[in-house]
Amino acid sequence: MSVKRDEPTVDVGRPARPYDEMTSSDERVRKHYAALDARLATLSPDELAERQKTQERFFLLQGITFTVYGAESSTERIIPTDILPRIIPAPEWARIEAGLIQRLRALNMFLADIYSEQQILMDGVVPRELVLQAPSYRREMQNLYVPHKAYANVCGSDLIRQPSGEFAVLEDNLRVPSGVSYMLANREASKRVFPGTFRGAGVLSIDRYPDLLLTTLKSMAADWRPNPQVAVLTPGVYNSAYYEHAYLARLMGVPLVEGRDLVVHENMVYMRTTTGLRRIDVIYRRVDDDFIDPLTFRRDSSLGAAGLFNAYRAGNVVICNAPGTGVADDKAVYAYVPEIIRYYLNEDAILPNIETFLCREPAQLSHVLANLDKFVVKAVGASGGYGMLVGPHSTKAQQDEFAAALKADPANYIAQPTIQLSTAPCLIDSAVEPRHVDLRPFILSGDKITVTPGALTRVALKKGSLVVNSSQGGGSKDTWVLSDTKGKSR
Amino acid sequence: MMLARVADSLYWIGRYVERAEHMCRLSDVMLNATLDRSEAANLVARIAMAAVGDPEMAKAKTPYEAALALALDRSDDLSIYSSIAHARENARQVRDQITTETWERLNLIYLRMNDPDATRSFEDGSQQFLHDTIADLHLFKGAGDATMSHGEGWSFLLLGVYLERAQLIGSLLEVVFGESRRRKPVTDHFALTSVLRMGCALEPYLRVYTAEMQPRFILQFLTLDEDFPRSIRFCTHQIETHLAAIIRHSGMAGSVGPDRLAGRLRARLQYGDMDELEAQGASPFLKTVLDECSAIHRSLYDAFVAYPLEERLPA
Repeated sequence: MSVKRDEPTVDVGRPARPYDEMTSSDERVRKHYAALDARLATLSPDELAERQKTQERFFLLQGITFTVYGAESSTERIIPTDILPRIIPAPEWARIEAGLIQRLRALNMFLADIYSEQQILMDGVVPRELVLQAPSYRREMQNLYVPHKAYANVCGSDLIRQPSGEFAVLEDNLRVPSGVSYMLANREASKRVFPGTFRGAGVLSIDRYPDLLLTTLKSMAADWRPNPQVAVLTPGVYNSAYYEHAYLARLMGVPLVEGRDLVVHENMVYMRTTTGLRRIDVIYRRVDDDFIDPLTFRRDSSLGAAGLFNAYRAGNVVICNAPGTGVADDKAVYAYVPEIIRYYLNEDAILPNIETFLCREPAQLSHVLANLDKFVVKAVGASGGYGMLVGPHSTKAQQDEFAAALKADPANYIAQPTIQLSTAPCLIDSAVEPRHVDLRPFILSGDKITVTPGALTRVALKKGSLVVNSSQGGGSKDTWVLSDTKGKSR
Repeated sequence: MMLARVADSLYWIGRYVERAEHMCRLSDVMLNATLDRSEAANLVARIAMAAVGDPEMAKAKTPYEAALALALDRSDDLSIYSSIAHARENARQVRDQITTETWERLNLIYLRMNDPDATRSFEDGSQQFLHDTIADLHLFKGAGDATMSHGEGWSFLLLGVYLERAQLIGSLLEVVFGESRRRKPVTDHFALTSVLRMGCALEPYLRVYTAEMQPRFILQFLTLDEDFPRSIRFCTHQIETHLAAIIRHSGMAGSVGPDRLAGRLRARLQYGDMDELEAQGASPFLKTVLDECSAIHRSLYDAFVAYPLEERLPA
């Protein structure tokens, strides 16, 4: 069952032509894009630009912004949004959905295992030191009861479509994934921009997400509290995802709390209300592990509440996602996910991984070093598009710099072949042009696992760019998942 | 049930939007009056500046410069821009508690004042700018009234509005009618009309007292009128009502301080009359009102926002 990883096989030499979401290789418009294509043909560039402006105005007015802090003043910007929806037909979605459920089931079982018996480590399927030495591994979580063994309650996986047309998982986000408010806001906007096309297409509704999130969070305390009090914990108004925290709290109808609103007394968590202290049972925290409790984790943090983790240990409050879930989305552990799925579920992974080379293995390291100009090299602990080398777009100096870093600390790096993300039509300066996109669906896990039929499609707005992160010039667009009974009931 | 921090923010949204609206009106009346060059116009400008009470503004060379600074000076915490920015920042912090309709109104005002072209639009038509801002602030309050639940949060917001309004009108009256200022009593017809405009009271006043501009009537109207929404009496009635609503929501009847203070202040205005007020002197009377408003503010904090934790821990 263990993996043989010392014979690299991938041919990294020829980047294949990217898959286009709208147009097939024989230049025909795919069937599920036909209605949108027809609509676009009736709109002049000016009309398209006007709609784009309306949509940006909508985002600005709603306050769906992030703040750029400068020396003198700060400005608020919207994350670029594109009005043309990305469309996924029903059979493709069915496969994605099944794959995501399978993957999160296995990852939750993996977390339950490594934080208790560690059977998978003893069986040598995943190297022991890889897990136990990962910075995101939390010793404090060892042998702690987590209801339904649901460690990652909210998961946002990054999928990409390979040139073959097959979706693959690029990254699992099991810590505090964000972006779901953009999924919902993009939907609001695209209903305004293309109402007719939307109505005719039979798009599956995503409106239930807040409701499903609340149900999931409540299920985490259902066995000891009949009607648990849920709260969203935010780092505060200066956090770049603050809009999303407030948005989710508002749509779930639960309080949005900050660390300074919380008091822990005799291992119970309370919030300060106008009428005194109120007990909280479930905390959907949007604060990183390190900052939730200065007594247990970082001492200098003022974003959490002192004593919160002990209250959690005592079983008096549930923290969602559980601390320590990050070890399962570690970039090195990622390489083992297909084996993790096979180990716990005895199934093949429905959604494949991207081939990944672990530089900790000497044979793989030398292969990566010899082909640095063709690989994407990522630091294991980094995220957000930082700390990475995109081989084909790099200079010799950057490659030398990475080569030195790789040799100095090989265990800290992984490498993947440069994947041509699929392209989707986007509105660029009043013209429709293809840009590279990925797909981030959101999966909820409590007493059961649910996938909302929609996603955040992130767009690399710079021509030719493969980096979709909003911190690096990425934008987003709505994602329409079509029902299989076209145009009928939703 | 509502987070103490949230109640605090809603209360301050109320205070800041009321302050912004009042400052817009003072500015607007001043700019309008000083289009004429007359002794009365100078008097109106002095009254407006004193009522704003901003030492920064006193440095301005002309009423126009003063109005521009009052509107858009970002470094001045008393400017209209700062009030709107504070209100909006508070609203952002309780974005989950106010409806989208209400938020949009406030955000719109902020975006316009924060626009790089804001100074130019002010220069192009300062009175239009101020007028639009006042109208949008009315829309904000209207959207809140029409779409927000009139529960605890709404009461905190309105408590902020009416406490601020009582204090602003009180300060304006002190500037115009206070004996302690050692100034000639204001008797000029134009100046008195302008004072009523500053309190947004001209038309309602005319309907009660006709065009006869009597200082005594104006003081009476802005202090003791039962129905005019900017009279101090009206404000104190609202303060008492919203405090009672908050206490009812909290189930803490009988155990808190601010309601006693609010009831006493309301009674002082409800059962006061002009003879008594004049016998006592406008300044001492207004000082009492302002002091009691401050006391209600402090007491509100002690009871609902910054209460000592030890007293509220579960047994």
